[in-house]
Amino acid sequence: MSLAVVDHLDTPMLAIALSIGAYLAGMALFRRLGSPGWCPPVLLASLLLAAALKAAGIAYVDYRQGAQWLMLLLGPATVALAVPLYQQMHHIRALWRPLLVCLPVSTVLAACYALLIAWALGAPPELLASLAPKSVTAPIAMGITERLGGSVPILMGGLLITGVAATACVSLFGRLLKITDQRLLGLALGINGHAIGTVRAFELGPTAGAFASLGMTLTGVLTALMMPLAWRLASMLG
Amino acid sequence: MSVLRGFLWLSLLWLAGDLVVSLGDLPLSPGVVGLMLLTTVFVLRGRMHEDVAAAAQPLIMLLAMLIMPGVVGVFWVLDQISGHWLAVGLALTLGTLLSVASTLWLMRRLLPATPSEVIATAQDKTS
Repeated sequence: MSLAVVDHLDTPMLAIALSIGAYLAGMALFRRLGSPGWCPPVLLASLLLAAALKAAGIAYVDYRQGAQWLMLLLGPATVALAVPLYQQMHHIRALWRPLLVCLPVSTVLAACYALLIAWALGAPPELLASLAPKSVTAPIAMGITERLGGSVPILMGGLLITGVAATACVSLFGRLLKITDQRLLGLALGINGHAIGTVRAFELGPTAGAFASLGMTLTGVLTALMMPLAWRLASMLG
Repeated sequence: MSVLRGFLWLSLLWLAGDLVVSLGDLPLSPGVVGLMLLTTVFVLRGRMHEDVAAAAQPLIMLLAMLIMPGVVGVFWVLDQISGHWLAVGLALTLGTLLSVASTLWLMRRLLPATPSEVIATAQDKTS
């Protein structure tokens, strides 16, 4: 019977309602579980949404077509990241010299380590293109992967794992090396762990959070500027 | 109304980004170009646009929901990477471990401990 109802609802509004409902339910479940750091709320929400789609017999392609209307907002939302970036501008002015060196190097390394490991283990080019922007915040990373010819769903899975791994690694190294400088921890979280790392940084304190969102946005912009060009060069050479 | 005006600005900047990308045949996403244009406008004006800030905040809070349609797709593509589990797993975990270590090492050498920042850190701890 549920199938018959869904067949009648041939409108993007269904996909939009399902997305919003699953998001709110996922957030509620996340709080109910005590906000675990290893499990980003968006993963819970996506699991709920996937279960709902399977139960209702909706194909992912159909859902995605309707959800396109929602994803249109990603465009202006990406532009909106200029606001937190500008709010951190005084940090950029004060520390432009170390940032100028560290950010490009860290950004390139974050992509290169993953690409080299995956390439050495025989991953095909399409998979490499999906993993390349793994440390970049999702709205920017989606644009990059589409330009490189990768798969957005694989990228999203990679982003989730990277975010959780980066958060775990920063706390591990922070304790081992006795790093207490909030700026350092924040930058490491934002550069390597995008939005998931930034959320964790805000739990450490406002300074860590500010530096994480700074690192996240600059990493995103730098990768978006450099990676498609590097990719074009690499494919011309290869 | 302030939010609506801000949203109009964000949309126009995205469209400007799209125009730059297609005219210049650039391998960039329009959103990133719009982000850079808007940051430049803020820097040139020396302050933020109130309306844009009012529209930006709710949009950024919605980001997690806006990427969900992409995230859900993971469950439908798992069979595509079935032959490359090890490559994907190691690239993501070991790659991230290495890049976190590199960032921390590099920043530790480069970041000066300025007095104002030490105070800021101390304030974070007390608050």
